[in-house]
Amino acid sequence: MAEKIEAERRRAIEVPISPSIPSGEGTVWADASSLLGLACNDLRDDELINGENFNLFAAMSALEIMDPKMDSGIVSTYYSIDEAIENGAAPVPLSFDRTLDVQRIIDIMDHLLSCEATWHKGGSLAQTVFSSIYLMRPERTSSHALLHSYCRVIRATSNAVVSAVSDARTNEEEDLFTMTYGLPLKSEGDDKCLSMLHAVEEIISRQLRACKAPPSKKRVLEDIEPLQNNLDLEEGFCKALLCRLRFRKHFYHVLTCMRRPQGKGLELAKKHIVSCLSELDSMLKSGEFLRSNNACGTLEDGIEDKTTASGCQPIGFDSTLNSRSATPTPPRAIKLFSWKKAVNYFQKLLHDLEILCSYSSDPVFESVLRFVVDFQKFQPDLVARALVQLLVVQDGRLYGRDPMFAVICKDALLPDGAKNHDIQKNITVPQLEQLAINLLRVLCTNTSWQRRKLGKILQDWRIIYVQLELAFKKEYGDILRSSVDENLCIKICKHILIWVEEKTYWIASRFLTLGFELDLYSPSEYCMAYWYMYVILMKLAEKTHIKMMMSNETSRRKTKKKRDFVRDMGKDHQIPPAVLLFQCYIYVAEGLMLMLAALRNEHKVFLSLGPFNSEHERFIQHFELLQKACLPDNVSYFSFRETTIHARFSTISVYNCFKDAQRIAKELRDSFANDPDRIAELRRIEQVAEHNGIALNLICRLGTLDPSLKVSFEFTHHPYLAVAVVKRS
Amino acid sequence: MAMEGKAQFDGSEIEYVSYNGEHHLPLIMNLVDQELSEPYSIFTYRYFVYLWPQLSFLAFHKGKCVGTVVCKMGEHRNTFRGYIAMLVVLNSYRGRATELVTRSIKVMMESGCEEVTLEAEVTNKGALALYSRLGFIRAKRLFRYYLNGVDAFRLKLLFPRPESNFPTDNESHRLLTGGIQPEENSMLQNSM
Repeated sequence: MAEKIEAERRRAIEVPISPSIPSGEGTVWADASSLLGLACNDLRDDELINGENFNLFAAMSALEIMDPKMDSGIVSTYYSIDEAIENGAAPVPLSFDRTLDVQRIIDIMDHLLSCEATWHKGGSLAQTVFSSIYLMRPERTSSHALLHSYCRVIRATSNAVVSAVSDARTNEEEDLFTMTYGLPLKSEGDDKCLSMLHAVEEIISRQLRACKAPPSKKRVLEDIEPLQNNLDLEEGFCKALLCRLRFRKHFYHVLTCMRRPQGKGLELAKKHIVSCLSELDSMLKSGEFLRSNNACGTLEDGIEDKTTASGCQPIGFDSTLNSRSATPTPPRAIKLFSWKKAVNYFQKLLHDLEILCSYSSDPVFESVLRFVVDFQKFQPDLVARALVQLLVVQDGRLYGRDPMFAVICKDALLPDGAKNHDIQKNITVPQLEQLAINLLRVLCTNTSWQRRKLGKILQDWRIIYVQLELAFKKEYGDILRSSVDENLCIKICKHILIWVEEKTYWIASRFLTLGFELDLYSPSEYCMAYWYMYVILMKLAEKTHIKMMMSNETSRRKTKKKRDFVRDMGKDHQIPPAVLLFQCYIYVAEGLMLMLAALRNEHKVFLSLGPFNSEHERFIQHFELLQKACLPDNVSYFSFRETTIHARFSTISVYNCFKDAQRIAKELRDSFANDPDRIAELRRIEQVAEHNGIALNLICRLGTLDPSLKVSFEFTHHPYLAVAVVKRS
Repeated sequence: MAMEGKAQFDGSEIEYVSYNGEHHLPLIMNLVDQELSEPYSIFTYRYFVYLWPQLSFLAFHKGKCVGTVVCKMGEHRNTFRGYIAMLVVLNSYRGRATELVTRSIKVMMESGCEEVTLEAEVTNKGALALYSRLGFIRAKRLFRYYLNGVDAFRLKLLFPRPESNFPTDNESHRLLTGGIQPEENSMLQNSM
C-alpha cells in the first residue's frame, strides 16, 4: 500500500517542461505547480515551512500578513501608480476651477510638509513624501508651473537631506531614513528648481501687488491675470502661496549653504534660517484664512489632527503604492504628523541649525568636545545631528580645515612647533587621529546609541596608548625615565601619551554620566554608579593636572635651571581652575556615594536584592566595559564594597563633601568670570551641593528617630548629580 | 483581607500551569491580543510554544485564564540566553506577574542559561519595577524602538557564574560575607 502511494507521488512529482517560456543556454523552465501542490498538502493546518536553510524563526518572521498594523500593503486601493493615475487619482491641473486648483495645491504643499516631518522623525521616504503620485511622475506636472516647480524643490530638498545623512554615515539604527530604492530622487532638471520656483514666485508677487493696488493703478497692471477667480480671496491665496514657496526656497538654501566646505556658508545659512522662521510664521497665520475658505466645508472633528491648514484631504497621495519596492519587509502602517506638528518640527529644526551656524569653529579640541556635548541638550533630531557632524568633521580634518595632529598637539598643550614634527609619520599617529575623529562623530549621534558606542571604543583608546608607547619607545628610547630632557621629540611623546589617557578617562566619565541621563540606573544602583564616577573623575583630574604641569614645566625650563620635577609639584603653582572644577564634581559624587551607602547600611533602603542574583552581577553588567578596559587598573566590585561598607551618618556628617564642593565652586567664580556657561555650571553644582548638604543634616538629626522619613533622589537641578529629597511618607 | 482596586482572591487560589498543548494556545492568544500593543500572528505564538513549551506558563483563577508568560532560549553570540517574549496579566491580577515570570526564569536557570533578556518601553513603570526587583538591570536604551516612537530598555538578568568571580583569598571572602547585611543574605537564600 505504501509502495503504491509512493509510486503515485513519484508520478505526480514529474514536472513538465514549460513550452511557453523558451529555454536558454543552461536553463530550462518547468511548471512546478504540481510540486508546490503536493508540498502544500503535506503541511498541516497552521504549520510553517521548516528546513535546514529556512528555520522556524525565518518562517515566522517572514509572515506579517493580513494585519493592517504590520502589513500596510493589505489596505490598498490601486495595484500600481499607473492604475491610480488612470483612475484620476492625480489630475493635472488639480481642477479647471482656478480657485479650487489653488486650494488643492496649497493642501498638497501642506500635506507634503506633514509627510516630510514624519519622514525626518523616523518614517520611510517611500511611505511619506513619495506617497505623492505627482512626485513619483515628474514629467506629468510640467504643464502646471506652480505644481511642477514645487515638486522639483521637494525632490531636490529630499535628495539634499538624504545625502547629508548618508555622508555622515552614522544614522545609527535609523536606516529606514536613507532608503531611496525606486524613488525618483534625482529627477533631471531638479537642480534648477530654484530658478523655476523664483519665476513662479515672481508671478504670484505681481498678482498680489495687482490685487492690492488702488483702483487708479489697476488699469496699468490689468494685463496680469489674477491667481484665481474670486477677487475677494485673491490677496489671501497669494499670501498663503508666497510664504510656502519662500519657505521652500530658503530651506533649500539653508541646506546647500551648510554643506559648503569648511563652514564657509554658515553666515549666509543663518540669514536663510531667519527667513525660514519668518515664512513659517506667515504660514501659520494663513491657517485661519484657509480654514474659512476651504473647499471641503466645515470640519466635524477639529483641525488639530489634519495634515493641511485648510483641514481638507489632499489629493494625489497613496502610501500603499510604493510598498512593494520600498522596504525589504512588508512596511508598517504609519501615522502622519499633523500640519501644525510638522510646522513645529521645522521650527525646532531651524532653531537647532541656527545654534550650529552660530558656533565659532574654534580649532580647540576641548571647545569642540564641549560644544557637541552641549548641543545634545537640545535633543536634536537626525537631520540636525547629521549636519553638526558634517560641520565638525570633514575629510578627516576638524571643520574640514585643521589637521587632527595639529589639533591634538594643541590640546596636549605642546608648543606650536610640535605640529610639524616628523613624529606624525609614525604609523600609530594616523590611527590616533582617526580615533579622535571617530570620537567627535560618535558624540554627534543620539545619546542612546552614543553611550553604547562610547563603551565600545574605550578598548580602542587603551590599545592605542599601548601602541603609541611601544612605538615611541622603539624610536626614541625609554622616554619615561628621562624627565628633564629638552628634546622636542620626547616632549611630544610624553604629552601625547598623557593626552590619550586624559581623553580615555573623559570618555569613561561621559559613559557613566550618560547612564544617568538615559535613566539606565535604578536607585539601588546609584551608589555604585557614583562610586565609579568618583573613581574615574579622580583619574581624569589627575591626568589633566599632570598635562598642565608638564606644560608649565616645559615653558619654565627656558628661564630656570633644571629642577627635580617631583619637588616642584604643588610648590610654584596653585591647582589650575579646570582641575578644581573636576574636584567639585568629585566631592559631589563622593558625597552622594557615601550618603547612599549610609542609607543602605543604616536604613536598609536602596538595596540590590533579588531571588536570582546579587549586587555583584549588577555591578559586572553595568561596568563590564570599563573593567575590560582596566579603567582604572585594580578596581573591582570589592573596592566598591570596601569603600562603602563602613559608611555611617555619624562619620559622613563630619567629613562633609558637599560643603567642600560648595566652597570650591564659590572660589572658582572669579576664574571663570568671562565664561557664562561655566558660571551657570558652577551655580548648578552649588545648588546640588547645598540641597544635598541640607538633606544630609536632616537625615543625621532625625533619621533614626523618625522612621516615617523617606529619602528619594531626583534630578531636578542637574542631569546626573541627584539631589536627596527628604519627606514624611 | 480585601484590598482596594484588586480582585478579592487569595494568592493560593491561583493555579500556575505549564503550557501543555493546543488547547492552551487560544487562551494565550486572547490575553496577549487584548493587552499588548504589538500584533502577533498565530505563527509567532506557535514558534514559541512549540519549540519551548517548558518556558511558557498560564495562571488560572477559578478556571479562568488570568495571565500568561511566553519565552524562548538559545545561543546568541556565544551566550546561552533566555528571552521573555510576552508577559500579560489581567488588570485585577497584576501582582501575579512576578510569580509567572519567576517560574520561566527558574526553568531557564536550570536549563543552563547564563542570562535572561527582554525589552520594555521606557514608560512602562510597572514592568521596569517588576524586573528590577527580580535582579534585571537596564543594559541599554534603544532609541525609538517601538512603532509609536517610544524608546525601549533592554533588560538583562545575569545569573551568578559558577566559576570564581569571587577571589579565593580570605581577605576578600571576609569582605564579601561581612558586607552583605544579614537580611540581604537570608532573602537571597529564601528565594533560591
